[in-house]
Order: sequence, then structure tokens, then C-alpha cells
Amino acid sequence: MAGADLKTASLSLQSVSRHFGPIRAVDGIDLDIGQDEFFSLLGPSGSGKTTLLRIIAGLERPSAGRVRVAGQDVTELPPYKRRIGMVFQNFLLFPHKTVAENIVFPLRMQNVARAARDERLRWAMKLLRLEGLAARYPNELSGGQQQRVSLARGLIARPAMLLLDEPLANLDRELRAEMEVEIRRYQKELNIPFVYVTHNQEEALTMSDRIAVMRGGVFEQVGPRDDVYRRPKTEFVATFVGQSNRLSGFVETVKNGAVAFAWQGHTLHVPHQGDIAAGDKAQFLIKYEDIEVAGAAGKGRSDHRSGNSLEGRLRDIIFKGQTANYIVSLANGAELIASASSRDHKVGIGEAVSLRWPETSGMCFRS
Amino acid sequence: MTSVGDRAEAWRRRAMSLLLWLLYIFLYAPILYVIYASFSVDIVWPFPPSFTTDAYAELFDNALYADALANSLLIGLGSGAVSTLLATAGVIGVLRYPSRHRGLILIAFLAPLFVAELLIGISSLAFNARLLGLPGNLFSAIAANAVEGTAFAFLIILAQLVRYDWQMDDAAMVFGAAPVRCFWEVTLPTIWPSLLGAFLISFILAFNNLEISFYNLGAIPTLPSVAWGSLRFGLGPELFALAALTNGLVFVLFAVMYVLMRTGIVRFGYRGG
Ligand SMILES: Nc1ncnc2c1ncn2[C@@H]1O[C@H](COP(=O)(O)OP(=O)(O)OP(=O)(O)O)[C@@H](O)[C@H]1O
Ligand SMILES: [Mg+2]
Repeated sequence: MAGADLKTASLSLQSVSRHFGPIRAVDGIDLDIGQDEFFSLLGPSGSGKTTLLRIIAGLERPSAGRVRVAGQDVTELPPYKRRIGMVFQNFLLFPHKTVAENIVFPLRMQNVARAARDERLRWAMKLLRLEGLAARYPNELSGGQQQRVSLARGLIARPAMLLLDEPLANLDRELRAEMEVEIRRYQKELNIPFVYVTHNQEEALTMSDRIAVMRGGVFEQVGPRDDVYRRPKTEFVATFVGQSNRLSGFVETVKNGAVAFAWQGHTLHVPHQGDIAAGDKAQFLIKYEDIEVAGAAGKGRSDHRSGNSLEGRLRDIIFKGQTANYIVSLANGAELIASASSRDHKVGIGEAVSLRWPETSGMCFRS
Repeated sequence: MTSVGDRAEAWRRRAMSLLLWLLYIFLYAPILYVIYASFSVDIVWPFPPSFTTDAYAELFDNALYADALANSLLIGLGSGAVSTLLATAGVIGVLRYPSRHRGLILIAFLAPLFVAELLIGISSLAFNARLLGLPGNLFSAIAANAVEGTAFAFLIILAQLVRYDWQMDDAAMVFGAAPVRCFWEVTLPTIWPSLLGAFLISFILAFNNLEISFYNLGAIPTLPSVAWGSLRFGLGPELFALAALTNGLVFVLFAVMYVLMRTGIVRFGYRGG
């Protein structure tokens, strides 16, 4: 999904900043989100995700910049006039109201007639499979049920967009996987933009059309999820998204955009991002699953000009379920990890192996 | 077979409960004695027991006391309401809109607690009557009592509301509740028990108060001031009855609060989801 152009942009942020004294929680963010997009804000703790979400909701006033929702400048509007739905990290259900009262709260605030309210309530309860829980109080619900009530409340008033702040953080693994699929389904069904905050890269990768990786109040990279995963723009993005090996070395030559990277006596041919020149110190990051492990017997097939190859010994296999991590010790003492299907490992622990990857895999950054 | 350690433990428990009972006697013996004596024929030396309700008859016959009761109730209700209102606004302001001067603001709210009531009374008199030229009346008594009441109410409400999650109000606002609606729909239903508690305390404080009211009322009688005045003629039986009734009223109030709490109808404090 390509970035939305301004005409169809449902949400548009123009150099939005929020400073708390010396802390730049959000620092000059530009962003356009389209009508049918599932957009994730991914970043470590304290990177400004919540602050940005609160600015969109109107709970926080930006120190600078403009916020537009569906073409209207809402920067000066208080939250209760913005028609935005929100799902909070700790649910924030009203403890003194029943499930049904919680869910219809947004409609009551809009003075929707009772009959219409009841109809919407039935719709929301059905969508989120909450039938039979209408009369319960929030403290009588399981975590997953509270989560769904919170989603129902966020969606019932047909908001212009739904903001979700780490809504799955408090759920156990199984439930989280299930809700990831559900939330994605609601977004496609309702056809409104979802802005989803998380510090869990798997969550972001599972659900999103586009991802913004945030650090220190700025976007390190914004793009389709495959781009963020496969073509990280910065070393931080490469480290934060997916699991990577990190090799520190220096640049021997740069030719036609390809880098000859010197690492512990080996020369590796790798792609790069940003300014880089011969002699620079550099980091090469490559995802576990981009490295292929083969028994040393297959050595003859390897063609050094079309890829990289390193020899080592398989030290251990860490079982991860569908995949396994192969930990390989190289002659120089370094260890690299390759990930592959756990079914068909052709090599045993202690055997000699070779590690291979094509010249287009991984990414090199000046350090 | 009990070991030496068990026996020492048993003694320690017995000593502790003895201490506890001594403490209770210290706190409640005078009050219980007054109630007992108020029903006795001989108030000065009510032993052996022989009961009558003469003291109460005397109390109810005296129209001055009825007048005083009405005034005291007015002062109590008025000051309770004003104190609770101001304190609630203050606490919400302090907690919801953090400021660098939070410490200073807190101290400013709580400082009246440390000023003798007598001095609050004299200061209000000097300020209201001398400087502003206001006549001493129930209103100035309510205002003066609310100075202390607000400080107490502030303390009580603050202790409860530090646990309130203001994000709840954020949620309400995102879903379309303007600030006033948000307060009625979300904040108040959660925090009202602590407001009730603060109201009761500041009501009782003002109801029972002698010094502050005295300086602001002049000739208008309140229960404490009438009691004080009649002391000049000695400790009459009607004073015993008055003390017993006042204490009884307070007991009943707190008993009701206790029952409400035990039955879960009212929760003093934030009810978490
Ligand atoms: N009201 C505030 N006053 C002062 N500093 C604040 C305030 N709110 C946030 N900050 C600071 O702004 C930065 C960003 O905070 P924010 O809550 O947006 O991070 P986040 O990305 O949501 O982190 P997390 O993943 O832990 O929720 C942090 O350094 C935080 O301490
Ligand atoms: Mg956050």
C-alpha cells in the first residue's frame, strides 16, 4: 500500500511537535494516513508513541504543527469534538458502568436516540462476540473480554478513525495472537484508518499496511511493512525490527552502490544505506533467516562471486517451534545465528558447516 | 506440648490486647460515662444506678437549646458543603494539572490545620467585622468554619483521589464528553464516597465548633456556645443529656458509614476495574 496523497488522506500531521521542558517527546512529525490504512507506530519505550497518539486524539496540545482529520484542521478542537475512537492500553473501562453502558457511552454523549443506540449496541456486541455479557461490570470480565468491550466502545460511534495504544500489551500470548487477527479484520470490515501503537515488532508486522519506526520523538523510517523489514533505512531500524546478526568492520571499496565490507579478515559483498565511503567504520546487519546453513559437503556448489560464504562449526540448535536458530562458531571465534525450518536440519551439532547469503541480503550502515 | 517460645508468644499477645483495651478505655470512658450519667437520677454521683429521663426532659423544655441546635445544624451543613466544594475543586486542580509549585499549593491548602481555632475565630472577626464592616451572623460563621473544614476535607479527598486514574476522564472526553458532563458521568460516580466522607467530617467539625463560631456570631446561640454559657451555673443535668445526644449522633453517623462500607454499598476509595 503506497503512502496516501493529501486528497484522500484521512489523517495528516504537519511538523507536529510536543516538548515537555527539555524533553522532545514528539519532534517535527510529518505524516499522511489514508482512509483504508492500518498504520502502526513502532518504537521502544519513551520514543513518543503515546504522546503522538494523544496529540491526534486532542488530549495533548502540540507545541507546534497542525493536525488534520478528514481534511478538517482540528488542532484547536478539544477531544470531545473530534469524533475519534480510542482503545487504551489499560482498557480504561468505566468501573461503575455495565458492559452495555460502557459500550453505548459515546452514543449517549452524542445524544443518539435510544432505539438507534440499542441497535448499534447489538451490532457492536455481535461484531465483538460479547453476547450475554451486557449486564456485567468490568471487574467481572476476563482480560480478553475487557479488551473487546474497550474495542466495541471505540468503534460504536463510527469514528473517523480508531487509535489503539498498545491494546494487546496486557493479554497473554495466545489471546494476543487471536486478537491481532480480529483487529485486522475489523479494520478491513469498517474501512476506517487504524493507528496502532506498539513496541512489539511482531504485532506491527502481523497487522499493518504501513509502519513508522519511532525513536526519540522522530520517525526513523516510514514505509510499507516489507520495506521496513527488508530495507531498513537506519541501523536502529535494522536492529529493532526482526532479529539480526551484527558485524562490525570497515568499508574497503564502494562500487555501483555495492560495498566490499571487511570483517575479521573476510571480505563480504553487501548492500548499503546512506552516505558511505571507503575507509569508513561500518556495521553490517543481517537477519537470522537471510543466512543459509549448509553441510560442508555442499561447499563445491558455492560460487564466491555471486554471494557471501563463511565456514564454521555448528555449535547448537535452539528450537523455536516452526523454526530453529542455528548457532555457528566461526574460526575467528565469532558466532553467527541462522534461522531455518526446524523440520529438515541436515547437519548435526559439532559438524562443519558453511553459511551463505546473497549479496543483496542484509544492510550496511556507517557507524 | 507447648514450647517456651509458644508461651512467650501467648504472653505477648495478652499484653498487647491489655494495652489495646487500656487505650480504648482512655478514649471512650468519659463519653460512655456521660451517657450513663445522663440517664441517672443523681448526676453528680450516679451510683448505685437508678435511671430517669429527667435530664432529657429538661433539655427539650429549654427553647434556647432548640434554637441553638438549629443554628449549629445550619453552620455544620453550610460549612460542610462549602468545605467539600472548595476542597474537591482544589484537589482536582492539584492532581489533574500538575505544576512546579504543587508543594506550595498543598501547604497553602493544609496550613489552616495548624492554626489554633481560637486564632481563626479572632482573625475572621477582625477581618470580616472590622475591616469589611460585615455584621456577625451565620454566614460569616459558616465562612470562618469552612476555613478549617476545607483544609480537613482537602486532606481526606486528596488521600483518596491520588489513586484515581485521570485517564478515565481522558477516555470520557475522547468519547465525546465535555468537561462538565465528564465530571457528572465519570468522575463523580467514582469519587463521591470520599466527598461524602469529607462532608461528614467538616460537618461535624463545624457543628461541634465553639471558638471559631463564637467570635463570628455574637449573641446568636449554637449548641457549644449555649453549653459553654450554662456552665457558669454549674454542670446541669441538661448538659449531660446534650453531650450524650451529640456523641450519640456522631456514633450513629459513623455506624451508618461503617455498615455501608461493610455491605459494599459504598466504597471509600477508588473501585478499580
Ligand atoms: N506529561 C509529561 N510530562 C513530561 N514528560 C512527559 C510527559 N508525557 C510524556 N513525557 C515524556 O515524553 C517521552 C515520550 O513519552 P511517551 O509516553 O509518548 O512514550 P511511549 O513511546 O508511549 O513509551 P511507552 O512505550 O513506554 O508507552 C518520554 O521521555 C516521557 O518521559
Ligand atoms: Mg505509551
